[in-house]
Amino acid sequence: MKTSGSIIAEKIRKTGKSGELSIRSENLPTWCPGCGYFGIHQGMNQAIQNLKIPHHEIVMVSGIGCAGRYPFFVNTYGFHSAHGRTLPVATGIKMANPKLTVFAVGGDGDGLGIGGGHLPHMARKDINVNYILFDNSIYGLTKGQPSPTSMVGFKTKASPYGNEPAPLNGTLMALAYGASFVARLFAGDAKGIAAVLEQAIQHPGFSFLHIYSSCVTFDKQYKTWDFLNKNVHPTADGYDTSNHKDAINGVLEDDYTTGIIYWKKNA
Amino acid sequence: MGGKDLTIEICGMSGDGTIAAGQLLNAALVNAGYSLLAFDSYPAEIRGFGRCVTHSRVGSGKMIALKNKAHVLISLDDQESVSRIPFLDTDAVVLFDNKPMAFLAENQSIAAHVEPEAKLIGVPFGDLSAGATGSRQGRNLVALGAFAGLFGVLPEFFNKAIEKKFSSKGKPVVDSNLACFQVGYQHVLEFYKEDISGDLGEASVHENKDSFLISGNEAIAMGALDANVHFYFGYPITPATPVMEILAEKLPKRGGKVMQMEDEIASIGAVIGSFFAGKRAMTATSGPGFALMTELIAHATVTETPAVIVNAQRGGPGTGLPTKTEQSDLQVAVYGGPGDSARIVWAPTDVQECYEFTLRSFQIAEKYQTPVILLTDFFLHNRVESLEKLSSAAEMISDGNLYPAEEKINAYKRYEITETGISPRALPGSEGFIFSATGLEHTEKGRPDYSSAIHMQMSEKRHRKIRGALSDLPPPVEYAPKGQLDLGIIAWGSTFGAALEAVTQEQEQGKRIGALKITSIFPFHEEVISAFMTKCREVLIPELNFEGQLANLIGHLHGKKVKRLNQVTGTPLTPWDIGEAIHSILKVLD
Repeated sequence: MKTSGSIIAEKIRKTGKSGELSIRSENLPTWCPGCGYFGIHQGMNQAIQNLKIPHHEIVMVSGIGCAGRYPFFVNTYGFHSAHGRTLPVATGIKMANPKLTVFAVGGDGDGLGIGGGHLPHMARKDINVNYILFDNSIYGLTKGQPSPTSMVGFKTKASPYGNEPAPLNGTLMALAYGASFVARLFAGDAKGIAAVLEQAIQHPGFSFLHIYSSCVTFDKQYKTWDFLNKNVHPTADGYDTSNHKDAINGVLEDDYTTGIIYWKKNA
Repeated sequence: MGGKDLTIEICGMSGDGTIAAGQLLNAALVNAGYSLLAFDSYPAEIRGFGRCVTHSRVGSGKMIALKNKAHVLISLDDQESVSRIPFLDTDAVVLFDNKPMAFLAENQSIAAHVEPEAKLIGVPFGDLSAGATGSRQGRNLVALGAFAGLFGVLPEFFNKAIEKKFSSKGKPVVDSNLACFQVGYQHVLEFYKEDISGDLGEASVHENKDSFLISGNEAIAMGALDANVHFYFGYPITPATPVMEILAEKLPKRGGKVMQMEDEIASIGAVIGSFFAGKRAMTATSGPGFALMTELIAHATVTETPAVIVNAQRGGPGTGLPTKTEQSDLQVAVYGGPGDSARIVWAPTDVQECYEFTLRSFQIAEKYQTPVILLTDFFLHNRVESLEKLSSAAEMISDGNLYPAEEKINAYKRYEITETGISPRALPGSEGFIFSATGLEHTEKGRPDYSSAIHMQMSEKRHRKIRGALSDLPPPVEYAPKGQLDLGIIAWGSTFGAALEAVTQEQEQGKRIGALKITSIFPFHEEVISAFMTKCREVLIPELNFEGQLANLIGHLHGKKVKRLNQVTGTPLTPWDIGEAIHSILKVLD
């Protein structure tokens, strides 16, 4: 009779042999337990394995921040670039070798603050790079300062009387810049991320995935898991992803719809 | 020397066809087989109301610098041309319109302002043009005809240039330009017979029948093309924009592409990304754009990724003087960016080297896995020289990358510490060599690591690697007699030509003086430079920046303080400028 221990051991052996975990590198993620990035990591790994993309044909380009560490945790080529500069570097890589599947990953500060000037041009050139924006509305690696997407009133050491500027809306920006694939997702839904990412990877143009996450270490009050769980909800049944105007209106009205928001499928 | 050496200026207001006339003059003189160095100055603003001056130095021997005095002034607008009078040589020839359209007071004609020794040649440019074509527009061509007549340049050389320049505009345009030239030429033969010098008429001089005119911009673009560059990622900025525009037209025909980026940071980012994935790319910019690139340049020294960047220096600091020349970015090119980020910096001294250095930069960047910065300047980019040929050898443009051996599969250390400091580099897409490049300090495997030992080792490795490039970079070249020297002039970039000409003049007077050409700015050949300095009682370093940036970099190699000639006039140093400095130093030594 098989003991529970041996059943588990066999499962582990089987999983190891299947290569399911081969996408993970030998480095353990350095994110805090409870960080939303684990969910994104799971979703990404799932999508890559499902599509059976050879790992050596993938390049992860990251920026600076907790999200910047991403390439070290996956078994693919990686380029940990300067703050805000993932998109230009990813452009050069994809143009040099179009056979590669190129991801750009970074946080909300990296992408909408210092890197904000590159996003419109990526979208208008429709470069086939998959851009994953890990949005936890905070600068976590530097120990908790407001980011371009932080709520008004957000109290941190850098904003002891409450953050003043209004938050940017990353999804709206991508839509306004004419990105041909725009999705908004939740880090607590790894399966959802995997499903959309598979579509995004196969989309032959610029894909923008705006993923809401929470920083459990430095934001215990505002964008918590509790808050996000209460607010995120999928787009309605029958949502038309091909209508750009409706997509913009929808995003103006509701900050928490998830799924593919807009998808310009070329004929 | 005994050869010919004539400097001709054409001066006018925007709209007078000054620049076009200069281009035709240069082309014609090269057709005639002369050597030429030419440089224009024009207004910075687009809606240019401004003075245009073309400056052509022509002769039998290779021209390596501009003189500070002109022998011939062709005035297309007397009010503007009066400003050129202080720069005229004694006995200069001044060609001007003696029947201008607007009524001018006598003292507004240039004739009233020139020195008595100057030779005035008044030709009714406007009237003759009107007579030949019905319009005064062709005044500039009439003036060229008059010039050709006076100096004995055979019309066929000008006609060839005129046909080439205007053929795309149709036969009527070509014909009216030819007619204007002809009428000016005939006028001089008829009315100025005794003044014809025929100085540029000798057919026997024309050995260089195959030489062609090329600008620094064109030479850089050609060097990149001949090195099989795939991508140019750039952003418009004076004076580097023409490189982008030339490649924008030529690269697609070769399967490549120019992508204009949103800023200079995106430009260098894309260049680095392209090289990371294995394809040659480049960008060209000037001071303000280069400053933006310094972060990613330093970053590339840590990820050990190749890049090729041209910094066409202009007047600084800040926005500076966009249409003036300077050499004030040496320090930022060598050191710019956070931390000790050694990279390769070299500086061509003429148009030929602009071609050659650009060509070779790609292989060197690949071999040493580092950004390579080509320090040029406004003067080099915009001047034209007559050259005999541009050639590239296969070994200069072949793939410089060192790829990992098969045995390293699944045991690959991207930043392996080796004897040369060069670690074999896998390209994305290669199976079994997966790694991540990072700007953080890292182990041999590329994992971020901040420990003391790793940082010391990796810093040492990177710097050793760059020092190793000395063997691939041109050593300084000496132009000096054997033995001790009273004075050694060390110069770089476009200043070197003026330095060499000044030194040669002094050598002909028997002075114990020599010149050293430095093209490899970093790493620099310490021993060679020290050896030269040891022979010199005094060392002078002339350069177009305020404090002496090359002097700051290498001055310590001399046993005593080096002398500096620092000029920031926005104009190139001339042999005369350097000669004056030489004289004052030699005087003290005697």
